[in-house]
Amino acid sequence: MSDLTGTGTAVDPLTQTQAVKDMRRLDPSLRPAGDGGSLVHRSGRGKKLLVYLALVAFALVYIYPFVVQVSTSLKTNADAVAHPLAVVPDPFTTAAFQRLADTDFPLWFTNSVVVTVCVTIGRVFFNSLAGYALARLRFRGRDAVFTAILAVLAVPGIVLLIPKFLVLNYLGIYNTYPALFVPLLVDAAGVFIMKQFFESIPPSVEEAARIDGTGTFRTFWSIVLPMARPAVITLTILSFQGSWNELAHFIIATDDPRLFTLTRGVAQLTSGGLGSGNQYPISMAAALLMTIPTAVVFVVFQRYFTQGANAGAEKG
Amino acid sequence: MSTADTVEGRDTVAGPGRSPAPRRRRRGGGQRQSGAGWLFVTPTLVVLGLFLVVPILMALWVSFTDWSGRGNPFSGGVGFVGADNYKALLAEPGLSRQDFMISLRNTFYYVLGVVPLQTLLALGLAIVVNQRFLKGRTFFRTAFYFPSVVSSVAISLVFLFLFTGTGAVNQFLGVFGISGPTWFSDPRGLIHLVGQGLGLWSIDSPPSALADTQVMSLSVWDWFSGPSVALSAIMLQVVWTTAGTFMLMFLAALQDLPTEVEEAALVDGANAWQRFRAVTLPHLRPTMLLVITLGVIGTWQVFDQMYVMTQGGPAKTTLTPAYLSYTAAFRQQQWGQGAAMAFLLFVLIFVLTSFQRFVLRDKDEAARKRAERAQKRAAKKAVTA
Amino acid sequence: MTRTTRSAALALTLAGALALSACGGGGFEEDGGSSSPASASGPVDLKMLIASSGDAETDAVKSAADAWAKKTGNTVTVTVASDMNQQLAQGFASGKPADVFYMDASRFADYAKNGSLYAYADQLSDNADFYEPLRQTFTYDGKQYCAPKDFSTLALQINTDAWSKAGLTDADVPTTWEQLEAVSKKLTTKGQAGLGIGVGIDRLGAFVVQNGGWWLSDDGAKATANTPAVTDALDYVQRNVKAGNFQMSNQLDSGWGGEAFGTKKSAMTIEGNWIKGAVKNDYPDLKYKTVELPAGPSGKGTLQFTQCWGVAADSKAQAQAVDLVKALTTVDQQMAFADAFGVMPSRQSAADAYKTKYPEDAPFIAGGEYGHGPINAAGMEQVVADLNSKLENFGGANLPQVLGGFDTNAGAALGQ
Repeated sequence: MSDLTGTGTAVDPLTQTQAVKDMRRLDPSLRPAGDGGSLVHRSGRGKKLLVYLALVAFALVYIYPFVVQVSTSLKTNADAVAHPLAVVPDPFTTAAFQRLADTDFPLWFTNSVVVTVCVTIGRVFFNSLAGYALARLRFRGRDAVFTAILAVLAVPGIVLLIPKFLVLNYLGIYNTYPALFVPLLVDAAGVFIMKQFFESIPPSVEEAARIDGTGTFRTFWSIVLPMARPAVITLTILSFQGSWNELAHFIIATDDPRLFTLTRGVAQLTSGGLGSGNQYPISMAAALLMTIPTAVVFVVFQRYFTQGANAGAEKG
Repeated sequence: MSTADTVEGRDTVAGPGRSPAPRRRRRGGGQRQSGAGWLFVTPTLVVLGLFLVVPILMALWVSFTDWSGRGNPFSGGVGFVGADNYKALLAEPGLSRQDFMISLRNTFYYVLGVVPLQTLLALGLAIVVNQRFLKGRTFFRTAFYFPSVVSSVAISLVFLFLFTGTGAVNQFLGVFGISGPTWFSDPRGLIHLVGQGLGLWSIDSPPSALADTQVMSLSVWDWFSGPSVALSAIMLQVVWTTAGTFMLMFLAALQDLPTEVEEAALVDGANAWQRFRAVTLPHLRPTMLLVITLGVIGTWQVFDQMYVMTQGGPAKTTLTPAYLSYTAAFRQQQWGQGAAMAFLLFVLIFVLTSFQRFVLRDKDEAARKRAERAQKRAAKKAVTA
Repeated sequence: MTRTTRSAALALTLAGALALSACGGGGFEEDGGSSSPASASGPVDLKMLIASSGDAETDAVKSAADAWAKKTGNTVTVTVASDMNQQLAQGFASGKPADVFYMDASRFADYAKNGSLYAYADQLSDNADFYEPLRQTFTYDGKQYCAPKDFSTLALQINTDAWSKAGLTDADVPTTWEQLEAVSKKLTTKGQAGLGIGVGIDRLGAFVVQNGGWWLSDDGAKATANTPAVTDALDYVQRNVKAGNFQMSNQLDSGWGGEAFGTKKSAMTIEGNWIKGAVKNDYPDLKYKTVELPAGPSGKGTLQFTQCWGVAADSKAQAQAVDLVKALTTVDQQMAFADAFGVMPSRQSAADAYKTKYPEDAPFIAGGEYGHGPINAAGMEQVVADLNSKLENFGGANLPQVLGGFDTNAGAALGQ
């Protein structure tokens, strides 16, 4: 997500509980708004109109760039340069997309999908495992482990660029697929979110299972995890978003163009990879194509995104 | 309230040694749990240890060497140079210190601009979107939030196009008769421009008192440049992108505001602004401080935009510590210096957040007390009325 | 530190250490340092990293490499770098660089110095056939490392429509600084600068050479930017920029001189032979011609840009890599590259063939005689980048201060 690129920036425990509260609610965003801060409550038509005008103006500022992105991707370069504000392409052309298809774009897209799927599955599984253990299982050193994970959260992700390159190289997995996703498989923030959520589930259910003699993993897998569905979905979304949009890690994990992901490939494609001159329709087409999966996931899971934003506060 | 939740959560679990009775009762289960517990956390510990703790130690070592990217940095052949890399960045006049200082200056202005702007914008959007009478709330919330889930690379490309010299933004400004700058290639500082506009100085021939006095490898004139036009364009982009996330945090907090308090204040006859100041704002204070903290942590790490859009230019005015550290290592092969920069940035962020946590904790407490007082007052008045 | 924190740190470190020792940590290659070529036996798979100007170049290099592979029974994988500097640096640091790669002159010294490059020039039987200045460019510490791939020089491009519109004829083509100033003045109209110049020392340096100066002393040991030969040259350009006869490309809202020239924001520009392709693709209707740069007070001068075929010191198949380079630098192959993507051969014996085939490129070829290579001392990249950033606002730059700063910084870098 934009500049808050940290893979695990500092977290504030207080917000986490807030997040869990949000998740426990069916959907906070759909609840009728409280009166809190309603500046124009019971105010006149004029004020309402003003609010609407301001909102529409802001909405335009927020939506227009995406409109420009779509329409420019269907323009010729000359048209794009001459009429950057025009919504309707003249002439209409799909040349930019055809040109993209000739580059390594399809490969980058595949790589991004593979990496995102691996990271998301890994994070959901490992984070829930660890979160459950930290929330429910008694074992020696548990507090220490938890403190360690808290400490890890305080490390700003961006300072790890050089260190991660060194260790990937040291392990001999630099320039390999695993280098792209293994370091991202676990994130401390996710462990934290899951721990908080498991703590909010009444322990009585699993106690019963335990007395029945069900194994710890079975209890976790078939009883507790299904109950944590909202948290799991939130984590899935955060992981998807984090790994699909990640750039810095992919820069240092490989220099082999066959392993480029979308973010890395597109960033370099448009800065000189196309030869001289700016090719705006192509860069807009690339931007559009890498936005579409995000948009689809966003629309489908919209309400969980709302929770994710709060739960993933530390991720930005 | 949130603190209470945490305590509850912990209590239901009963940490080791805290409640001897249940432990005795379930000794067998306890042993099994111990094994399972370690088993469950091991993947997490291995990955975090391997890709976080170990790398940090390795980089710490490299920051004390002159490794140039050839051979094994942990073998005997690499020169140990002590604190030389740190000295070059902080203590010795020269290009390294100059560039590092420029990056700190840029990021300082960047943080100073982005954090207040995005906080205010997020708060404003949250309050407006939270209005009860509003139709299409979901639509607006979605529109404002969507940019913050989109890849920064994609957004950077769009903004590069919007902000070209003859681009959409300048054409729009042209409608109002304003001729916009060539955004991403304009290195002039905002403070310099304002001063020139006021007739205080000319950018091409700065006052020698400022231009000739050097502090930490930069002239006073350069220190007080303000963000460049190019950096300002990036700042606008980042505010635009991130405000949505913070808006949602504010929204969640606003929806937690007890309706009774608000109604009490309403009965009290307080007008909208008074209610906002006396009730809503104190209630939002913890969220606001959190938003600011997260904003500061995030903005000091800014990297993606520089990598995609400006590569530090024009005239180094979009150089940031994160990007500089990356180029020092991965392009100029001065790995030691790059690693040293990363550690200095780490320390800086750590100090800033520790400081803010301290402030946050303090204010949180104070704010809650104030809010409680206000609520009591309001409730009392409501009763008497 | 509490007990918990301490054991927490211990737990994490232990986990990491365990995993590390399990994996053996074999990623970093130790420096072999032998001078006899490493020659893998049997067919090898060579990796080649190039920075391509487009599909034409990529295809031409690929087919040349394939031809060699077929003949020798080896294989070559050609990879197009999207960010050459970074990919090279990262490759060297990882100990697994490409075997053969484009090596830019401006970065050559750094890599030669830290031992990333394998010096093979002494194995080339006809090494003397490469232009002497080019061979010098790829010489570090008295040793030539690699074979020059090709080269390009700067010349003056003139928009012929604007030229005749301003009432100028062939006789007016400038050959001195005074004439350049005069024609620029005549060509300057509203919305069109007489001469558009790309930003930075890779263009401004040509004027410095014409004035008999250079940023460093001949032996590359001392910084000499703050000397009259350099300052006077830049002062000449700056005076004309202030007068409006010349404009830097960033003043014209252009990424480079060719863009300003192509969009008719300038009537003349100073670029290399790569402008041919750019005009053909982006501004096909533009009518222009190329002439040699005017001479300065010290005679003719231009800048020369070049790359060589680098071979990695860490390559496991250096013998095969050198053999591939030999195949890529034959006269025929160089002419094939010239046909495909317009580069100029680095061999003197190919010059005549090239001139006959591309007479319009004669001004570029001529620059080969008197052109100056780039700054190629080790550790100078940062210093040069700093100089360029300070010259971005060229019209307003305080030249003595900027050049003095360069001398200080360069002195520190060279002293290391």
